[in-house]
Amino acid sequence: MSIDWVTVLAQIANFLVLVWLLKRFLYKPILKGIDSREAEIAERMGEAARAQQKAAVAEADFVAQRQQLQADQAALTERVHEEAKQQRDALLAEAREKLAQERQDTQAHLARERERFTTELYKASAETLYQLAGRALHDLADERLEEHIARHVVSRLAPLSDELAAAADNAEEAVVTTHAPLPEGARQEVKAALQARLPGLTVRFATDDDQSPGLVLRIGSIQLDWTVDTYTDELVGLLEERLTSGVSGRVNDHGG
Amino acid sequence: MQLTPDETTVFTLWGLGINETVVNTWVVMAALTVASMLVTRKLRPDVPPNRWRTTLEVIVTGIQRQVEEISPHSSRHVLYFSGTLFLFIALSNLLLVVPGFSPPTASLSTTAALALSVLIAVPLFGISRQGIGGYLKTYIQPSIVMLPFNIISEFSRGISLAIRLYGNVMSGAVIAGILLGLAPFFFPVVMDVLGLLTGLIQAYIFAILATVYISSATAVINKPGQDLDSAREHHKEQDR
Repeated sequence: MSIDWVTVLAQIANFLVLVWLLKRFLYKPILKGIDSREAEIAERMGEAARAQQKAAVAEADFVAQRQQLQADQAALTERVHEEAKQQRDALLAEAREKLAQERQDTQAHLARERERFTTELYKASAETLYQLAGRALHDLADERLEEHIARHVVSRLAPLSDELAAAADNAEEAVVTTHAPLPEGARQEVKAALQARLPGLTVRFATDDDQSPGLVLRIGSIQLDWTVDTYTDELVGLLEERLTSGVSGRVNDHGG
Repeated sequence: MQLTPDETTVFTLWGLGINETVVNTWVVMAALTVASMLVTRKLRPDVPPNRWRTTLEVIVTGIQRQVEEISPHSSRHVLYFSGTLFLFIALSNLLLVVPGFSPPTASLSTTAALALSVLIAVPLFGISRQGIGGYLKTYIQPSIVMLPFNIISEFSRGISLAIRLYGNVMSGAVIAGILLGLAPFFFPVVMDVLGLLTGLIQAYIFAILATVYISSATAVINKPGQDLDSAREHHKEQDR
């Protein structure tokens, strides 16, 4: 066992060369790689922290915006509800107004229909009354109602001679209107009676379907009526009285 | 029985005999350098490390961690020095298992050279850190009476390092050789395995002791409040 000093010097040199070689090819590249990787990781973590911070800010912004949107949505919903309520109230009011108007129209229509029906009923009643009276008179007394009316008119003209003369003034024509055509005999009686009081007067006979049964005399500015309207009015009054009280209906129901 | 590879001359260069110790040292150096070059030749930070690079990183960072545990504020030059000591001694001892290969560390010349390197490196590191005056003052601490003892201590460190390493490696090789003659099938294998273990332990002890000596020589200037991370940053700046 001995020390070879030449070998010792050579080994020292070898060792120093090895230190340099490993520093050049091992330690520096490895440590540099580790350092750069650490720096990159630190940078990425910094970026991640910044991104996280940014995300937190964005999240806070988002939350604020969402809250604002929710508040806006609530306000909008409230406003829409209010508007819908107002619109509903307006539509309901309009509907009620229309309903009331339609009810009024319906009632007016019903009133008109009732009036028309009543008028037609009056007319039909008058015609029926006239026909019944005429038939009863013809069957019982062998006379026609028109002729009887004509005679009645002739008899009533006598006390009215002065008024007729004053009213006729310069009238040249008298018009006698009936619901149905007068028999020729009745016409001659009326014509003779008028011409006896108003000489030179032309008498014309006419029929009017809308007129109530009876006779209407027009001379100049006056008009004399002998119709069943008065009786018809009394008949309507009686019917209305019975219908309003309901007594007749109950009596009829129980009494047949 | 040949106890040291110094006695075997492999070839002669310019009239100078190159013995087996030097040649095997070159082999170990070449193996370490070529392996490092192959692994670190295409080192880029954006490429994930492969298994070889990871292995080297584990080794280097392990050495760095050991050095920093002993001397937290040492520069990276201590890492280069102590790390090279460890890698060289460890690989030399591991190559003990290669048939016909005599580890360079089995030569007292090699261990003496390494011990001398440590003996020279310790004052150099101390002077580089404290200045020559500051370093020489450490020899008269705590009083000038201790000067001869401190000098003896410095030399005895080197001698003990050299003898310890040489003795362990050489003894392992000698014992393996003896057992090979006595029981050639079983005991040499066991002794070689033990040799690998003791070789690695010796490499670790040698490098650690060298680091401890360097650390004791540079410890005076270290500031107590300086932490490990700031020291690392300082070393990175130095390396750049």
